Amino acid sequence: MGSEGLELKIEFCGLGFNSPLVLLSGCVGFGNEYTRVEGFSHRDVGAVCLKGTTLEPRLGNPPHRIAETEGGMLNAIGLQNPGVDHVVSEILPGLDFSETRFIANVSGSTVEEYQEVTRRFDDSPIDAMELNISCPNVKEGGVAFGNDPEMSARVVEACRGVTRKPLITKLSPNQTDIAENARRCIEAGSDALAVINTLMGMAVDIESRQPVIGNNQGGLSGPAIKPVALLKVHQVYQVAKRHGIPIIGQGGVTSAEDALEFLIAGASAVGLGTGLFYDPLAPARINLGIMEYLQRHQLGTLAELTGSLRLHQ
Amino acid sequence: MSDPATVAPPKIVESVGVVLANDAYAGGQYILRLQAPEIAARAVPGSFVHLRCAPELPLRRPLSIMLRDQTKGWIDILYKVVGRGTAALAERQVGQQLPLLGPIGNGFSPAPRGSRPVLIGGGVGMPPMLLLASELRREPHFRPVLFLGSEVPFPFAPKPSEFMLDGLPPGVLATMPLLDDWGIPARLASGQGFAGCFDGLVTDLARAWLAQLDETARQSVHLYACGPTPMLRAVAELARGFDLPCQVSLEEHMACAIGGCAGCVVQVATPTGPAMKRVCVDGPVFDASTVF
Ligand SMILES: Cc1cc2nc3c(=O)[nH]c(=O)nc-3n(C[C@H](O)[C@H](O)[C@H](O)COP(=O)(O)OP(=O)(O)OC[C@H]3O[C@@H](n4cnc5c(N)ncnc54)[C@H](O)[C@@H]3O)c2cc1C
Ligand SMILES: Cc1cc2nc3c(=O)[nH]c(=O)nc-3n(C[C@H](O)[C@H](O)[C@H](O)COP(=O)(O)O)c2cc1C
Ligand code: FES
Repeated sequence: MGSEGLELKIEFCGLGFNSPLVLLSGCVGFGNEYTRVEGFSHRDVGAVCLKGTTLEPRLGNPPHRIAETEGGMLNAIGLQNPGVDHVVSEILPGLDFSETRFIANVSGSTVEEYQEVTRRFDDSPIDAMELNISCPNVKEGGVAFGNDPEMSARVVEACRGVTRKPLITKLSPNQTDIAENARRCIEAGSDALAVINTLMGMAVDIESRQPVIGNNQGGLSGPAIKPVALLKVHQVYQVAKRHGIPIIGQGGVTSAEDALEFLIAGASAVGLGTGLFYDPLAPARINLGIMEYLQRHQLGTLAELTGSLRLHQ
Repeated sequence: MSDPATVAPPKIVESVGVVLANDAYAGGQYILRLQAPEIAARAVPGSFVHLRCAPELPLRRPLSIMLRDQTKGWIDILYKVVGRGTAALAERQVGQQLPLLGPIGNGFSPAPRGSRPVLIGGGVGMPPMLLLASELRREPHFRPVLFLGSEVPFPFAPKPSEFMLDGLPPGVLATMPLLDDWGIPARLASGQGFAGCFDGLVTDLARAWLAQLDETARQSVHLYACGPTPMLRAVAELARGFDLPCQVSLEEHMACAIGGCAGCVVQVATPTGPAMKRVCVDGPVFDASTVF
């Protein structure tokens, strides 16, 4: 990186990021999977979010777990993971923390489970924790925690009580007022926000008249959701900037132009998930594109871009 | 194999293949030849590539490597048009470029010296069997046998085999010319009444041959299979019936094909209970007794 003295390093919640790019949860397994690809380097990204992790191991959903859709894909993996203790004792020791920052993705079915998973990650080398509040609340009728500001805030508050590591709350787009939810999560102690998680959707096989996905419904990701994600980032930024809370903008990023759109809309860092499936070497390519843009616009830092959107009056 | 200790897979290369040929065969089948030297060099029997069939399609498509020439740097892929991706692939012209990732996956575990590999391929599951055969022929002590089945005309011109195989109904003589050239006995099966082919399921053809072997000869057999799921289930039954080791190559929808998304899993029996294994990097080859 670092052409002509420019560099993409940023500070995010006090953590040094090599670049504003963050590899997103559920797209890179538990961290080392993409190192199978020649030329891929964790040094090209600011952070890597690990797969959603629960207290106990989960087998996840039956196949098919994914379906291609127009401009994107649906997934219903069902949080397949080996449980937090295995992640902490067997997986984290195999990660090279000198290359990038690793962020755990905390998931659960009850507030208590989120809190316990957070507590166990707190006692580990993990750099930060992201709260995946899009999981269904089994005690309260299966509504996703993240679709209700009150339940979201309860999760954040409970987890805040057991860790001083940076807490990032990942907001769901499947709700009426994402900005209000953001406000409640910030007040409950969230250090940063990730915007957005997948949009719920379905695909139908017209021959069998069954949903393509084993779980019937799944989360939509990829370029199809980018316009929705950009608007949500813009809306959440109006709240977050007042509190100095940074945003990881995400949803459908495949190019440097996409990443720049998110930064301008209010993000401080940009997530890359489904875009990696298109091109596993996208991080280096996107970094280069961002750098060229900064040069062309004679910008010294990325921070100058964040929230620099000029709305039509 | 599902045990990662057996064959350490090579690094996956992100590259652009140039179309050298994309020839149509009956039944919507195509053989695509791509110039992709790094992938040709690293492929092992069972490896596949993840191919971008058209720029507008979000996901790549997994396709097995059928043959490769390490010197000339090409790979051959046999595919059948079944949906948008493969239909777009059929439109690709000589000289066009196709982004691809590969080689991906753990290959077949090598059979022990002195064993008799029996390879069973169905439809577009034939490719991994052919790549495996091309490797096995380098070690003459193996004496492999192939049984191939198809319900559409085979994507080659069958001819009577020069090699005898006992226990088969009279007139079952057709083989793939390339296998004869390699000195490998093989037979074809189909329910479509193609000349010289066994009339029925490829697994019944294999059973007829296995049944006539004496017990000692049969105990040295290792089964390898790739094809539609019902066929693989029948091969697994065959293996169970004769108490033979059996490796199968599986298919599942894939997003990343790198091991990142857990989208491509199958349920596998392990000593500690059921586990979800990724077809892309834990497979695509699995021990049949753990999946069927
Ligand atoms: C490891 C592996 C090796 C394969 N090797 C071959 C081969 O050598 N020759 C060949 O013809 N086919 C092979 N297949 C199957 C091939 O990948 C599918 O036929 C192809 O993806 C269909 O894409 P489509 O867009 O034409 O069909 P559509 O049905 O329109 O595809 C829709 C989506 O479902 C996925 N999909 C549909 N069927 C399958 C399937 N059977 N397996 C995996 N994904 C599927 C597609 O990739 C796509 O994401 C292989 C599959 C795997 C997993
Ligand atoms: C296959 C897959 C699995 C995912 N798993 C998780 C998960 O475990 N936890 C989570 O918070 N988000 C998960 N997500 C959501 C992504 O992290 C990301 O927020 C979303 O896909 C939007 O970004 P993208 O369009 O760049 O993929 C998953 C997404 C995909 C495609
Ligand atoms: S396709 Fe993503 S893990 Fe196999």
